Amino acid sequence: MIDRNRTDDGPVVEVRNLCKRYGEFVALDDLSLSVMRGQILGFIGPNGAGKTTTIKILVGLAKPTSGIAKIAGVDCASDSAKIKRVVGYMPDGFGSYDNMRVREYLDFFGAAFGIPRRQRVSRIAEVLEITNATYMQDRYVESLSHGMQQRVGIARTLLHDPEVLIFDEPANGLDPQARIEMRELLLKLAASGKTLIVTSHILPELSRICDQVAIITQGKLRASGSLEEIMRNLNQRRTIEVQLASPSDLAVGESVLKGCLGEQGVVTVSPAEGMLRFETTRSDEQLSQVLAGLVAGGVRVSQFRELQTDLEDAFMSVLQQHDGASAIVTEKV
Amino acid sequence: MLAILRRELIAILRTRKAFALQLGVAICFVLLIALRWPTDGRVDLSGERSGQVFRLFSYGLLAAVALLAPVFPATSIVMERRRGTLALLLNSPLKAWAIYGGKWLGVFGFIALLLVLTLPAAAACYAMGGISLSGQLLAVYGLLLVAAVLFISLGLLVSSLAHSADGAVRVTYGCVLALAVLTLAPYFFLQGSAGLSAQAAGWLRCVSPIPAMMEIVGHGDIGSETAWKGPSAVARFMILAPLLAIAFATFTISRLRYHLLDRSRSQGLVTDNRSFGARTARRAMFIVDPNRRSRNIGDWVNPVMAKEFRTRRFGRSHWMLRLIGICAILSLFLAFTVTTGTVRWDLETVGGPLVLLQVGLMVVFMPSLAAGLISSEQENHAWPLLRTSPLSGGKIVRGKLLSALWTMLLMLLATLPGYIVMIYIQPTLWLQVVRAFVCLFLAGLMALMISAMVGSWFRRTAAATTAAYVVVLGVFGGTLLVWLARDAPFGFKTVENALKLNPMAAALSVFNVPGFRNYQLVPISWWVAGLVAIVCFLVMRFRVQTLTRPE
Repeated sequence: MIDRNRTDDGPVVEVRNLCKRYGEFVALDDLSLSVMRGQILGFIGPNGAGKTTTIKILVGLAKPTSGIAKIAGVDCASDSAKIKRVVGYMPDGFGSYDNMRVREYLDFFGAAFGIPRRQRVSRIAEVLEITNATYMQDRYVESLSHGMQQRVGIARTLLHDPEVLIFDEPANGLDPQARIEMRELLLKLAASGKTLIVTSHILPELSRICDQVAIITQGKLRASGSLEEIMRNLNQRRTIEVQLASPSDLAVGESVLKGCLGEQGVVTVSPAEGMLRFETTRSDEQLSQVLAGLVAGGVRVSQFRELQTDLEDAFMSVLQQHDGASAIVTEKV
Repeated sequence: MLAILRRELIAILRTRKAFALQLGVAICFVLLIALRWPTDGRVDLSGERSGQVFRLFSYGLLAAVALLAPVFPATSIVMERRRGTLALLLNSPLKAWAIYGGKWLGVFGFIALLLVLTLPAAAACYAMGGISLSGQLLAVYGLLLVAAVLFISLGLLVSSLAHSADGAVRVTYGCVLALAVLTLAPYFFLQGSAGLSAQAAGWLRCVSPIPAMMEIVGHGDIGSETAWKGPSAVARFMILAPLLAIAFATFTISRLRYHLLDRSRSQGLVTDNRSFGARTARRAMFIVDPNRRSRNIGDWVNPVMAKEFRTRRFGRSHWMLRLIGICAILSLFLAFTVTTGTVRWDLETVGGPLVLLQVGLMVVFMPSLAAGLISSEQENHAWPLLRTSPLSGGKIVRGKLLSALWTMLLMLLATLPGYIVMIYIQPTLWLQVVRAFVCLFLAGLMALMISAMVGSWFRRTAAATTAAYVVVLGVFGGTLLVWLARDAPFGFKTVENALKLNPMAAALSVFNVPGFRNYQLVPISWWVAGLVAIVCFLVMRFRVQTLTRPE
């Protein structure tokens, strides 16, 4: 098991000032990001944001107009033959063949990657084991369910043991059980030392597994870093919940809170829950002073917690900041 | 039913393909008339010239109907099933016959529209004189409509049985070819003899629209040594074709039920896990069992070629062995008939059917094997996976073409026993047989390369297969159309030049088959076929290079 936070040997994936134009249309505009070894990067953005274009450049399927994209030191644009051995790519569509069993399917791609026959036999067994797909080795690929196909797709990307794995929408169309299994599988791969880039529209899924998040809209990188960093950079207001031991303390608690927070403090009282809520931009240290004020004011506090903002909130904030996307807000509602 | 009819007809007419077809058909037939329109002041009172044009016009129309009528119905039901819209239709209050009727009428309407577009050309032909309105012109259109009825019903039947659109196209074309050409074969051997089998052969030949068309335009009988003395082939066709169409329609309507959609997923049972008895039985049945656990691809084998052999529905080992068996039996049967019936048939006469059998097989199977080589990868979303593998464009093309080439060679070799028997009986024939064999190899190679090249420009396998069939049949059948109009309106030189494009004609000329023996086609047709194959290969290589290059 390797330490997923090990970042001492520099970024494995490095993208600098990447631009891609199709005629007048700018698909990517000065995109820069990096991913460290063993990390999982969640690459998110609305449809047409430029995610697939970036991925295509990274796997050698497209050439950038300008800028640099490197994976494990290999230039994605000028050395696309070499990049194919460094990267394992699972596109959105599965790519099946008729009348082909899972083992034959993996055997074909293993042979395509030039893995010698003897070595291939054991490697296929290995990747089937990793992806918990051994039981389906004799099934025809076109008859597999979507979840099974995703597993086989991941097994295929692992065949040539690449350093970096790029998955385009791996959780798309999966049922909750399959999503959980997929999440565990991705974490397992990252733990084994693989660097992962994952795009997904199912943001709660990503937030649970990603070390880094990159948000892209209209070809531009809007935010990147850990989820916490992004939230901090967005300067988003935090929502704090104060659970009181008795509803009778609500009135006192409200007045103490207003006193602590000053004029800008908007406190919401929920008598049914025996709870006070307020929004603030204060730091953790400042919040500890608010809690101390409540206790000193004789309010019996049973819980004092921050309401977790998730990736979805961050994503929407970014969209609203950069696009003024009222339409998207409507969609979320 | 009207809703379905409207949707089907509009869906067909909206496509660019339909527009191109209408325009192409109209232009072709107008050009044909324009080229032969009298330019001098003298009038051809005998009507010979218009008769010549009319014959070519009629055969051309029949070829167009045979090529175009089955395409749309062949994909109609299978596409609905794959897209899931058939379930919606079956879930609606529409009856099965209404769904069928709507689809049938939609395609028939389009074909009728195509025929209407050729009416001005027909009218011009009639205006040249020498053609009977009811006896010839209307009879030709009547025959074409009945042929369209037959082919559309056949296409819909195949569509209800097929699992994929491209498979449906391929099987439908095979059935059309069998209906139009293979039904003539028994009569060819039994003509002139008495008895029930000869009578049956006489009726069977009338399932094909070709004898009926020949009768209307006043041509001799194809491949016949004696004049046809039985009842009118037109009348027989007009009885048989609607009866067959009704039978096809009844069977198709009976299939348009939920059970068409009620298929479980394969659980992937392999023969290796079965009992000893089951394993032995399957081995005897298949020789090469498709359900056995296959070995890993060898280090020196092109993986794309191995993959092609494993994945395609037709062309997998067990089917190949069966096909080779059938070819070998047929060729031996033909050789046997020569040895037992040398009074009436000489070896050279039997060489013709042998050549036709082989080229027929090539023309039916090559487009279905080669047209989808590239398009199927794109359709199945597997192309990006190949692009992200270290396989080069050249290796992909080589693997794919080799998989089809091996199949073609095996098919060709399967008829070798017949030729060997021929040489054994008449050793002086060996040079002819070798020359014919080269012609056939080049015919197969040309059909393969044309299909692969044409197919590589499409993203959908069904469209690629259709286009490949049209081009291959155009090359092999179109040149024969010119041959049919030999001496008039086309001169000897024109026909010879056209036949140089067709290695099958060269093989027939090598065997001195009547009608071909006067043309000097070897070795020039070898060079032409070789050149066509090379050009097609280069175009396909360029196309694949374009598709594999980073965007």
